[in-house]
Amino acid sequence: MSKPTKKPVLVIGGGMSGITAAVEIAETGRDVVLVEKDSYLGGNVVRMNNYFPKLCPPACGLEINFRRIRQSSRIKVFTQTEVKSLEGSRGDYRVRLHQAPQYVSDLCTACGKCAEVCPEEGPGEFNLGLDKEKAIGLPHAMAFPHKFSIHQKSCRFEDCGECAKVCTYQAIDLKAEAKDIPIEVESVVVATGWKNYDASLLEGLHYAENPDVVTNVEFERLMAPSGPGEGRLLRPSDKQEPKEIVFVQCAGSRDENHLPYCSAVCCSASLKHALTVQEKYPDTHIRIFYIDLRVMGRNEDFLERVSRNPKIELIKGKLAQIRADRETGKLEVEAEDIMACRKVRYEADLVVLATGIVPQLPDIDLSTGFSGFINAKQSSGIYPAACCKRPMDVSASVKDATAAALKAIQLT
Amino acid sequence: MLEINPDIQFKKELIKTSQAPLSKCMQCGTCSVVCSLAPDDKPFPRKEMIWAAWGIRDQLMGNADIWLCHQCGDCSTYCPRGVKPADVLSALRQMSYRYYARPSCIARMMSEVKWLPLALIFPVVIIAVILALAGTLKIPDGSVNYSKFFPHAWLNSSFTLITLISYGLAVYSLKNFIKDLRRQFPDLKFKGGILLQMLRSSRTIAIHTKFGSCSVNRFRKWAHLLVFYGFNLLLLVTVYAIYAALTHRYPLGFFNPFKILGNLAAFMLVIGLGMMIVKRLVGRKTVNSNYSDWLLLISLLLLTLSGVVIEWARFGNWGSAYHLYFFHLVCVWFVIIYLPYTKFGHTFYRLVAISVADAAGRK
Repeated sequence: MSKPTKKPVLVIGGGMSGITAAVEIAETGRDVVLVEKDSYLGGNVVRMNNYFPKLCPPACGLEINFRRIRQSSRIKVFTQTEVKSLEGSRGDYRVRLHQAPQYVSDLCTACGKCAEVCPEEGPGEFNLGLDKEKAIGLPHAMAFPHKFSIHQKSCRFEDCGECAKVCTYQAIDLKAEAKDIPIEVESVVVATGWKNYDASLLEGLHYAENPDVVTNVEFERLMAPSGPGEGRLLRPSDKQEPKEIVFVQCAGSRDENHLPYCSAVCCSASLKHALTVQEKYPDTHIRIFYIDLRVMGRNEDFLERVSRNPKIELIKGKLAQIRADRETGKLEVEAEDIMACRKVRYEADLVVLATGIVPQLPDIDLSTGFSGFINAKQSSGIYPAACCKRPMDVSASVKDATAAALKAIQLT
Repeated sequence: MLEINPDIQFKKELIKTSQAPLSKCMQCGTCSVVCSLAPDDKPFPRKEMIWAAWGIRDQLMGNADIWLCHQCGDCSTYCPRGVKPADVLSALRQMSYRYYARPSCIARMMSEVKWLPLALIFPVVIIAVILALAGTLKIPDGSVNYSKFFPHAWLNSSFTLITLISYGLAVYSLKNFIKDLRRQFPDLKFKGGILLQMLRSSRTIAIHTKFGSCSVNRFRKWAHLLVFYGFNLLLLVTVYAIYAALTHRYPLGFFNPFKILGNLAAFMLVIGLGMMIVKRLVGRKTVNSNYSDWLLLISLLLLTLSGVVIEWARFGNWGSAYHLYFFHLVCVWFVIIYLPYTKFGHTFYRLVAISVADAAGRK
């Protein structure tokens, strides 16, 4: 076992990959600093309704990891924190962390009194603006660390101060200030993950103008038990259950004007969505427009199940236009059905854009390559992992994070 | 069993003409959807793009759809792979001239800039020979009178003859084109004959309906309308001028209604061609301009401008008037004799293709 005097390993990003790297490193007896910019861990996975390969809810994989973090004395977690600078070399990195003001301290017990008196409301951050939430509250039901946080955009801070008055534990400090934290680490795992492509850039699909045109990430929230419909799939405009759903594959992917690459997971994700909807709402009619259906490995099985389902139509042809009827607001989608060699138009209650994976980068100097993804090879001591390196699914990300963890502890 | 007959040579020629990376097309169909002219049934240009990638010449040459395209460039703008379908269809239209026009060596000569000097020699030689035959191959004395240089009888008969030969060759090449179009429309029948159908279909051309429904810009429609009517008006005035020369006094006075019409037509042409040239040089380029586009624009512009200049030269008794006149004649002959072999041929092919599509009920 390593000597405890060794400097810790820094893990940037507290999503599935960052958590995996952190616990794997800690369990070898090394200290870890885990830095996350949101107020909770879990990244994109925690927002999902269910995920591959067994279609379990995110709680499945995350709960056990949160327990591993809780049980380890070697992992120091900084939430609402970003890496501001990184200097040095292998074995000796000096890092400056920037932590946003901690208005709610660790004394918070998530009792909820503050939220009861909070008069302000803003768009729900966790549900991607699909619902509303109080300016103070638990980010989501299984938030870890399990404490409340304040939304800077909707809170009036000292102009209001109701929450601080009712807090029994003096956990709320509305005058809190941001601080810089200097640390020294031996090596760095970069697991900053991904965000989905900005769908409002897709001309012709009119995502920004139509509430019922949503992204695949938003659709996960619409389906989720903790989402705006509390488990009922309701379309955003009028909160009705959609009867006709259209999935648009390669929305901005494999497109030189947008993302030139294939994100590898969106086809499987849409098949998963279609099957999940069908299971819950057997009367719903689903159409999936695709260029090619690229399902990897054992996900081929999903394609077979989808092809057998008479309520799910697979149409070869990229959906290039969505129009909204000015009066009724009804959506009409248009594509060329290539197998039939005909332009087809269908009405839809809800359109889901399968947008691709865009790398998220930390604010430090890293060598990047193809389409802004981080190169696998960095100056020694820095190890990128998972989706900031290339698009991949959750299980591949976990494996890749473990690999990066192994590299990070093999120094000296 | 599907039988396909790929022609690699054809594909190579198409890549060379269009400068498009044909094999990058992934058949997503975005182009067909964004095209406002593509019909719902068997829309273009997605199907053309796979034929192009495979080099299926027989599907692409006798194809009315490539002529229904008015090259607004939407498909190229939205193409996710940068394959430029608009340029591919434009290249296919150029290759059609080479494929159908007879003798095809002339079309080949007109397709490359390196043969331009040779192409210019022919009209010069033809005019020189006619002048030599007329015995007027020298600069006349006295005030400017073009008929002293090129006697009316010689001019009108040679012009008419060359125009008739040129149009005759064009019609001949169209016969094969129509025969091939029947492959796309096996049940094609023209109500009251093909000429009547053309007359019916020319209504859409007269008001530029299809140009108008290309959503990208109205500018192109107006530029083309000006050139279209300017040129046809000039043709009409020329016919009248020949008639006038045969029956009564020529040249026409400056205030003769036909003279005014001719000057108006020249004005329309210059403005229209100017708009087209400016549009091709500046601004957002959704389609690439190639040699055949520039050849048509510049030869028409030179023809029009030199026509206006020799008019001034005549009224102003310029010393260089006859040289300018010779230059103008070369321009006219150049446009007329190469008409079936250059982009000018689009006037015929498009009319025929639109007529056939109308007759077949393709909308």
